[in-house]
Amino acid sequence: MNLTLKIALIIISLIYIFLILKAIRRKKINVTYSIFWIITGIALIICTIVPNLIEYISKKLGFETPSNMLFVITIFIAFYLIFNLTVILSRENRKNTLLVQEVSLLKKQVKHLEEKIDGAK
Amino acid sequence: MKILLIIPAYNEQENILNVCKTVEQSKVKVDYIVINDGSTDNTLKILEENNLEHINLVHNLGIGGAVQTGYKYALENDYDIAIQFDGDGQHDINYVETICEPIINGQADFCIGSRYIDNSTSKFKSTWIRRVGKDIISAMIKLFWKQKITDPTSGFRAANKKVIKIFANEYPTDYPEPESTVTLLKKGLKVTEKPVNMHERKAGKSFVNPWTSGLYMIKVSIAIIVDSIFRTNGGTSE
Repeated sequence: MNLTLKIALIIISLIYIFLILKAIRRKKINVTYSIFWIITGIALIICTIVPNLIEYISKKLGFETPSNMLFVITIFIAFYLIFNLTVILSRENRKNTLLVQEVSLLKKQVKHLEEKIDGAK
Repeated sequence: MKILLIIPAYNEQENILNVCKTVEQSKVKVDYIVINDGSTDNTLKILEENNLEHINLVHNLGIGGAVQTGYKYALENDYDIAIQFDGDGQHDINYVETICEPIINGQADFCIGSRYIDNSTSKFKSTWIRRVGKDIISAMIKLFWKQKITDPTSGFRAANKKVIKIFANEYPTDYPEPESTVTLLKKGLKVTEKPVNMHERKAGKSFVNPWTSGLYMIKVSIAIIVDSIFRTNGGTSE
């Protein structure tokens, strides 16, 4: 890999990590959910510094080319992430339903009590 | 015996007043509560102006969430029997006693008002495609639970205190009738059916079209299969 490309890739990775940290600071993302993104940033830097590592691993695992291995890994991780998101979404949905129900029931009760007080006056 | 009719209503401005009036004027003594599921038409206005008992959901939840709100209300107010009753005029108030009877006698925990148990009581039988869907669901429940439910999609159903408590806690969201019935069978509760009459909806449009019906069948099938195969209780920990 050519040195200019290497430096460019490392700079891009650093900017990427910096943006994630900034997002945490601005509370755009929870620390829990940010861990994954920070790890991908660090992995990018490692791969740039030692490209032979990827080549070595893919050969050991029997992939024809390193890029094939990267594609497979990326797709698996992406699927896992999306599945996880739908799990989180379902959970949030349930919580939302519960909140709407409880608020609506409370409102009904408040109205009922108000009417009772008015009646007693 | 305190009996509550749970009337879910979504955009039912043409029907809701009539439905409530027939309930109020009926000879059976029941309370009712309309659950306005975030209607975008004048349903809420009609409910308020006519002083009809109602809960206004602060956001649209869909039929399952709306009906469950009714069960929660029934639980909080200590009702002995809760009955789901459609806000579109499909259900017949005269059959409330019929479906309450097995519960009052203690023969069942849950009673479904069925259009199909005999062929004479209900003239309105729904379209053939919905009947096929219903038959498939019926067959699935029979296969897994050895009990024939002739009208698993019926929304006219009576529940005793035990069932009210269960439904207040867990109730499926989208098209909940068959799945909630399976939930009860799974818990070993007694489910029965009584023949009732149903009308065609009086006004307004039903939300059913081929696309949603297909999706409905898939969702219900998955729910029933999952519920039936994994017979231990899942973790809905909130």
